[in-house]
Amino acid sequence: MKEIVAIIRRDKLSETRMALEDAGLGEMTVHTVNGRGRQGGTLMTEIDPEVPAEFDAVSRITRYPTPAAYALSHSLTRPVFWIPKRMIQVVVPDDKASLVIRAIMSVNRSGRFGDGRIFVCPIEETVRIRTGERGEGSC
Amino acid sequence: MKMVRAIVRPEKENDVVLALEAKGFPALTKANVFGRGRQKGLSVGAVHYDELPKVMLLIVVPDQDVETVLQVIQDTARIGYEGDGRIFVSPVLESYTIRTGEKTV
Repeated sequence: MKEIVAIIRRDKLSETRMALEDAGLGEMTVHTVNGRGRQGGTLMTEIDPEVPAEFDAVSRITRYPTPAAYALSHSLTRPVFWIPKRMIQVVVPDDKASLVIRAIMSVNRSGRFGDGRIFVCPIEETVRIRTGERGEGSC
Repeated sequence: MKMVRAIVRPEKENDVVLALEAKGFPALTKANVFGRGRQKGLSVGAVHYDELPKVMLLIVVPDQDVETVLQVIQDTARIGYEGDGRIFVSPVLESYTIRTGEKTV
């Protein structure tokens, strides 16, 4: 079995859910997380304007120039160092992993930075709590 | 590739992030979680706290960088008392960048 962990944009969650349903896989776990990638954050204009900027978060990138660091030093627009994201976890049998990856990629790709990542991790055992069933049938 | 999940004290989160960034690992995901360890929470006088707030940092790094990341997190998150947290390392088989669709190994 494989666990697929995808970190995606917040506004793409329902589309991702629908894409997975179309692929015949409805089950998933959703986490609300904050994150950043190699760009070290972004600008307010890039994401939902209702999200407050974290001015007290001093974890700014200083080693190389980024949009967030540039905006901060030039007081241009509000930088956001931690971008609100959704993390989804799907556990599927081995043969369905590529199906899930393709479904997630097809709806989440916009071509701009911040589309997210997909990680595929091995899962040794799953147990369905209701029935006590183990193995592939329970995931 | 390895996924490093570190559960650290919320007040140490910023130190850990800055230290990781200085070592060249700017990308990570964090989540606010609640949990308890072997001590089953914390008792302050008559009040017992079952679960304590922690921050979970999730970083995926190449195999050769795992030791560096572990050392950095340990050095910055440790204050020497119970509740400093845990680090879990688990294997990652594949990693994809959604923007480009390519596999990053």
